[in-house]
Parts: sequence; C-alpha cells; structure tokens
Amino acid sequence: MKGQILNRMTPYFFMAPAGIIMAIALIYPLGYMMYGSLLDWNPSQSIGEAEFVGLKNYVTLFYDPAFRESLGVTLTFAFFVVIAEMIIGVGLALLLDRNIRGMSVLRTLFILPMMIAPVVVGLMWRYMYHPSIGIFNRGLDAVGLEKVDWLGQNALLSVILADIWQWTPFIFILSLAALQSLPQSALEASRIDGATGWQQIIYIKLPMMLPILIVTALLRLIDAFKVLEVILVMTEGGPGLSTEILALRISRTATEFRELGVAAAMSNYLLILLMILTVSMFAFTRWQERRATRLAAAIQEDA
Amino acid sequence: MLTYLSRTTLAASTALAVIAGAAAANPYAEYEGTTLVVNFPAHPHYDAVMQILPEFTKETGIEVEVDQLPYLKMRERQTLELAQEEGEYDLIGYVVFSKADYVYADQLENLAKYFMNPKLANPAYDPADLIDGYVYNIGFAGGDRGYLAGKTGSLFGLPYGSETSVLGYRKDIFEKHGLEVPETYDEMLALACKIPELEPGMGGLSSRAASGHHAAHAFLLHLNPLGGAIFDEEWTPVMNNAEGVQAAEALKTIVDCGPEGASTFGFGEALGAFLNGDTAMFLDTSIVAGQIDNPDKSKVVGKVGWAMHPMGTKRASQTGGFGIGIPANAEHKDAAFLLMQWLTSKEGDKMVALAGGNPSRFSTHADADVNAKFPHMATFGEALKHADPDWRPIIPVWGKINADLGTTLSKVLTEDLDIQEALDGVAQRATVIMDEAGYNTWK
Repeated sequence: MKGQILNRMTPYFFMAPAGIIMAIALIYPLGYMMYGSLLDWNPSQSIGEAEFVGLKNYVTLFYDPAFRESLGVTLTFAFFVVIAEMIIGVGLALLLDRNIRGMSVLRTLFILPMMIAPVVVGLMWRYMYHPSIGIFNRGLDAVGLEKVDWLGQNALLSVILADIWQWTPFIFILSLAALQSLPQSALEASRIDGATGWQQIIYIKLPMMLPILIVTALLRLIDAFKVLEVILVMTEGGPGLSTEILALRISRTATEFRELGVAAAMSNYLLILLMILTVSMFAFTRWQERRATRLAAAIQEDA
Repeated sequence: MLTYLSRTTLAASTALAVIAGAAAANPYAEYEGTTLVVNFPAHPHYDAVMQILPEFTKETGIEVEVDQLPYLKMRERQTLELAQEEGEYDLIGYVVFSKADYVYADQLENLAKYFMNPKLANPAYDPADLIDGYVYNIGFAGGDRGYLAGKTGSLFGLPYGSETSVLGYRKDIFEKHGLEVPETYDEMLALACKIPELEPGMGGLSSRAASGHHAAHAFLLHLNPLGGAIFDEEWTPVMNNAEGVQAAEALKTIVDCGPEGASTFGFGEALGAFLNGDTAMFLDTSIVAGQIDNPDKSKVVGKVGWAMHPMGTKRASQTGGFGIGIPANAEHKDAAFLLMQWLTSKEGDKMVALAGGNPSRFSTHADADVNAKFPHMATFGEALKHADPDWRPIIPVWGKINADLGTTLSKVLTEDLDIQEALDGVAQRATVIMDEAGYNTWK
C-alpha cells in the first residue's frame, strides 16, 4: 500500500523542482503585478502601504483617451511592422537561398542590424532623420526634392521604417533556415512536373514554411508590442502621442507619473492582448494542421 | 615664586588655549575617517563638484564616495533607496520636482536641527547670501501652497546645481544688422521672426518643443513672464486663460520662426542648433554657458552675449535644477550635513563656480575672480534676482499634468491643433487629476 502511494507520488517528486522554480520565477512576479494593479501605489510607498482600490485602475484606463490612443498607436505600429518585415524578410530569404559566391558574408551583413543595441539604433536613425544634417534630407535636397519633416509630421512612419530596418533580418534568418530545411524531394518532384519558380514558391515552399512563418510572425508581434528603447530615443513618443506605444506609456506612468498601480494595470491589458493574439495564432495553426490531416486522409480514401 | 607661578599659569593657559583652539579650528575632527556615500546626477555642475571634493577630504578627513547617475535614472534609484529602512546614501542631489515626493513621503531630513546644532553649524555660513528663488524653490516645503516659502514652511535641502533662464544671443549677427538686444517679449518675438529674413537659413530662436517634458518646459518659460500661471490661488487650473494662450502663441511663433525641424527639438537639439550657429538666439537654462565657450563643442565661441530673460508683464525667469538633501534613512547624517554646508559655503560655492559649476550664492555671482573667468556671471546674478520660485507647481501630481501639457502642446506645434481648445482640454483633465488628488477637499 505504502509502496503504491510512493509510486504514484514519484512523478510529482520529479516535477517538484521545476514547479518550484516556475512558482518563484513566473507566478510570484505575475501575482505581484496583478495585485499591484489593484492598488493606488506610488513608488515612495512599500506595497503594504498602498491603498487597495479594486478594479479602479482598469476602469480609469478603459475610459482614458491617452491610453486608448497609445493602444491604437501600438496596434498600428505592430500591424505594419510585422506585415512589412514578413514580406521583405521572406522575400530576401527566397532570393538568397542559393549558392552564390560570398553568400555567407552577405548573410552576415544582412543580420547585422539586429545585433546593434536598440539605443544606438535609435540615435542613429534620429540623426539620419535630422531635418538639416540628416542624410535623408540632405539626399533629398541634393537631388532637388523637397525635404521631409521625418520626426514631426511623419513620426510614426519614420519609427516603423527604423524598426523594419532593424528587425527584418530576424525574419530573414529564420525564413532562410526554414527554406534550407525543406525536403528536397518535393521540390524535385515539382521540377520534374514542370513547375516554374513562382509556382514552386507559391504552392510548395510557402505552404511548407508556414508553421515556422507563423511562429516567427508571432515572435515578432510579441516583440513589436514591447519595443521601447528605439522609440524612446527617436521621438520620446511624440509629437503629441503619435508614437507613444504602450510600453513607453507604461514606463512613463511608472516613472514620470509615479503611478505604479496604473502602470501594472496597463501591463496587464498588454498581457491580455498578447495572450489573445498568441492563443488565436496557435488555434489557427491547429485548425490548419487538422485541415491538412483531413485532406490527406480524404486523398488517401479516394486513392 | 610669583614668576614661577605666573610662568606655570601662562604655560597652562597657553596649552589650554592650544587645545581649545585646536578643537575650535577643527569641527570635523569627530568625523575624521568617516566615508560618506553620496548620490549625484551626471550634470555639468556635479562634474565640477567632483573636482573640488578632494579638497573637502583634505580639509576634513571625511572621505566621499560618489555614485553619479543620469538624472532620471538617479531619481528611480533614489525612489527605491529612500523607501528602505536603512539607505545606502548619506547625501543626495535631487532634481527639483522630486522635492514634493520626498518631503511628502517623509524621506528627507528637516535641516533645522542641524542648523541649530552649534557643533555642526558654521556661524560664518551666511544663509542670507543664498539665492532666494533657488532656496524656496528647491529647499523649502510646507510653506505657502505647500511648496513655497511661507510661515509654515521649513528647509529640507539646499540649492546646488540650480539654474535659471537667460537669453543667449549672437553678438556678431546683432551687430551686423544693427539689432537691439530684446528687453521685452514683443521685441523678442518680432526679432525671432525677423532674423530668418535677414539671415536666410538661420532660425530666430532655438527652443525645446518635443512632445512631453520639453514642450511643457518651453511653455512654462513664457507663461510666468507673460502673467500666466498653471493654477490660481484655489488650485483651479488657469493655464487656458488669455495669458496661457498668449504663452502658447509665443512658443508657436518661436518654433515656426525657428530652425528647420524645431518642432521635434529636445533640449539637446535646441542647444545643438545654437552651438552650430543655426540660430541667433537661445532662451533656456544658464547651465549651457560653459559649453558655448568650449571650442570642442561650439562653433560660436566668443560670439555669444547674454541678457536677462525678456519681460512680459513682469520679469520671471525659470528656477530649476538640483538641490542636495540628507535622506531620512542615511547612516552618517551629521557628517553629511558638514559636507552639505561645506559645498554651499561661500568658499565652496566659489570653488565650484571656478571649476565650471553653477553657483548658489549672490556673492559668488559678483565675485571678481569668478567674473574674470566667466564674464557672463554678473548678468546671471542679475537674472537670478528675478528667478521665480513659483515657476511651476511642485506637487506630487505635477508629473502627470506636465506630461499631458507637453504632449498636447506638441500637437499644437505639429498638428495645428487650436491653442484655446488644446489648453481647455489640458485644464479639464488637470481638474480631474487635482480633484482625485484631494486638492478640492476644502472647496
């Protein structure tokens, strides 16, 4: 009897260290943030001194136009950067997936931008966008075109361009790895059947890469929601709130406005948003896999 | 016998006098060997302080370990440190808007007990010589409106690395076109837009304008001289009255007639434009004087003259920058006070001014040696007489109102949002913030 109980408990003993680490490293801080979001808490107080206000922070935020604007900016930013980066990154990978001389050097060069510290990227682009000494306006001026007010009238676009420059290599490198691990047999079969390059890309390469592309897009999306330093350095969220993405608003709420409870509630909104996106993306992949299995089964039955 | 006695008495009294004299001459003896840990901002003034600290150690035997951080980082670090039971810092340099937070949370020592202690307080300190606007703005709390001088207030810190606003102008450009240095706002605004016509490619006046803190700061620079205010006596937001609108219009005129891309300039870009020779005027903090005369950083060395912040309906220049205070959880409070007193004493203030810092005393601004090295110091001293301690409200919720003001003004500058509508919005939101913070409890 005793042995039986011990046997049944064994797996839990083995799982215990992982469980404890999870509890300390994940659940505790998360719980702390959840609890913090229910408080009227400024950084000069310890968490015990802060006043409990229930869901007030969430309700206030829900009706706060600045928060809503910031959420809108975040969604616009994330949407455009991920789409643009996916198209350019996958496109580059398809172009460079071949054996030409110096390819390894070229690949290394392509991934350099994502290795640069975000603050440096921010500063670099800020100066490139500078109205009078920046390279873009000097270039435009040199060819006789009108100068552009990059960080003034077109701040969000400018920030999006900088992010695309920095993070397209991430999509590129993962897409390239996915391409190179595709089974050659399918590609050879299509070649024998006379498929053109475009047909190969559309009907074979892209569908086979899709699971990896979805995970890549998801990773980028999560990152795009959290980007902070580049925008902080480039525009500090301005002009107005036009580039104030949520991560920046959270940081300002905690440090400038000294409202830790509201900042925590904001982080929770962001977390919920990311959870919804992640779950729906995985649900979509699962649905696709099932559909593929069903189709395969139907084909087999037909055969 | 008598001779012997008198000799002995003489010897004894001499010995006593020597001992007493030694004790009087060295009030630091008790603290010799103490190591103070201080937290200062990375700022030109505190870079100058670093040069004079060895002198303090030599004179007193008290060692000083400095943790210098960029000021926003410093503020974050202090927020955490001051909330501990036992803090790491014995003395902190704090940015002016932290005063409200620290004093309200009971985290700074009231300095009364130190100035009352005869063993610590130096009778030659001469507090009357400290610049009034700075002391009340940075060191005082609990007086009128809670953050100003007044019968109910007391001292929690001393100004150190404080700054006011002055007008820098290009002497060569002004001379070339026979222009007068502006005395009033009307003259300054007219000149700001005339200069780009006289000197094509050059902006009139470079100002901060970027969204948030920068735009709010630039607006505040004009608000008080033009007769406006953020709140009235009863804490009702009035930044949207006629004077407020006039101040925002002044800012918009300055930005529109400023150098290219001025609407996104932070402090660095605004100063950079002036140093680069892209604008003929610069209206901002006095802390930049050192950089303007540094040939490594400036293309306008020797070409810049200084004048007082122009008048609107009154003279009211900025008060801002830093002060020093003793954290309530400090370990070596008495020794920290001695350092604080030494740094802000007449001698210490002169020493730091000569090393390139911003003096806190009227006498230092008038000092011959300091003026020989920095000729602009006399003008700065004159400007300081008009430094307005109520330049901005130093209350805990100011950060939030300031940010809203700054982002909304940025929309005025870049998206052509109507000024009255924009300021009405800020006033409306500020009313809610003030109400939540309890400022309407007694109404």
